[in-house]
Amino acid sequence: MAELHIIGQIIGASGFPQNSLFCKWGVHAGGAWRLLSGLKEGQTQVDNPQIGEMAYWSHPIDLHFTTKGLQGWPKIHLQVWHQDSYGRCQLLGYGYCHVPSSPGHHRVSCVTWRPVGTWQEQLAHAFVGGGPQLRSPDTIYSGADRYRLHTEAMGTVDLELGIITSRFDKFGVES
Amino acid sequence: MAAVNPSVFLLTVNGQIEGANFPEYDNLYCKYCYVFGHDWTPTSGLEEGITQITCKGSLSDKLIWNFPLETTFKSTSPSGWPQLVLSVYGPDVFGNDVVRGYGATHIPITPGKHSRTIPMFVPEPTWRLQRFTSWLLGRRPEYTDPKVVAQGEGRGVTRVRSQGFVTVSFNIMTKDMKKLGKSPLSTTVSEGGLSWRQRQEQQFGSEIVSGHM
Repeated sequence: MAELHIIGQIIGASGFPQNSLFCKWGVHAGGAWRLLSGLKEGQTQVDNPQIGEMAYWSHPIDLHFTTKGLQGWPKIHLQVWHQDSYGRCQLLGYGYCHVPSSPGHHRVSCVTWRPVGTWQEQLAHAFVGGGPQLRSPDTIYSGADRYRLHTEAMGTVDLELGIITSRFDKFGVES
Repeated sequence: MAAVNPSVFLLTVNGQIEGANFPEYDNLYCKYCYVFGHDWTPTSGLEEGITQITCKGSLSDKLIWNFPLETTFKSTSPSGWPQLVLSVYGPDVFGNDVVRGYGATHIPITPGKHSRTIPMFVPEPTWRLQRFTSWLLGRRPEYTDPKVVAQGEGRGVTRVRSQGFVTVSFNIMTKDMKKLGKSPLSTTVSEGGLSWRQRQEQQFGSEIVSGHM
């Protein structure tokens, strides 16, 4: 059985309309994959940057997967939220990216999007915040039923991921 | 040099905490320590230390420590890969020592020369009154154990403020990672047979090949 180590961090986010951001993240892998150690989901701290506009989380990721097949390669899915000074949370964006498949260091920039509602919802959003959210996080990383969504572009989340593979070459996999 | 079938691999870190960039603060020092999983053991070098107190130069806004990091770890598995945890402290207006930033980064996983710019953040009090009283009394919120910064759990909805960066440079060597079947290096074989790196490793028998090609 081949093994995959993902060692890195969710560095932070930039390009969002508000600061004071946090991120809920998770890793989804197919049925052939088994997680041996590490947390596969979590929530970062809320950062309100003093210099510049990039919010920094430095959230560590250390995962050890074992697999019997290449299908269902792990994907990291993210939800970026804004927390204001009163403690209220508002969704700012969804995004996902595949875990890199080649060994070594990678700097990944994950783009994000936010669902956009009807014009009444957009008007309400401009005044009181809130807005439509996905019922289930599966839509973030799956293509099914995406055609029903109308979304707008949001900022970028930066991740630094180090990949260590084990025994992939014994199975003839080139990466 | 090594046993025919090694069960552990080694990770050697030679580096330095070069300096910091904190626009609003001066006269800072830095404490460092390593956080690693239970498969890992440090075999040589110091696991923690404190730098000198430095101040900004007359010509530049940079704070320089130039503090050496020399440590070797051994492990049976890459899980729990070591992280370098930094805490930066400095005096406030009244002369008390307060924390100016916490930060953490994983030690790079590939051999060679690497540079990291680590963002530093402080925990934030939630109420404005608390912010004022903590400024007045010189008692800012601090983590009881800075190693919390290297963990993922328990950080959700803690408020922080990022206010600076620390630059660290690393020179990494590994030993016997390939013999154990773990590869942070691409193993694609080029058209002409072995790649330059693979020929070097065959000749010298270990992964002590620098990252420069």
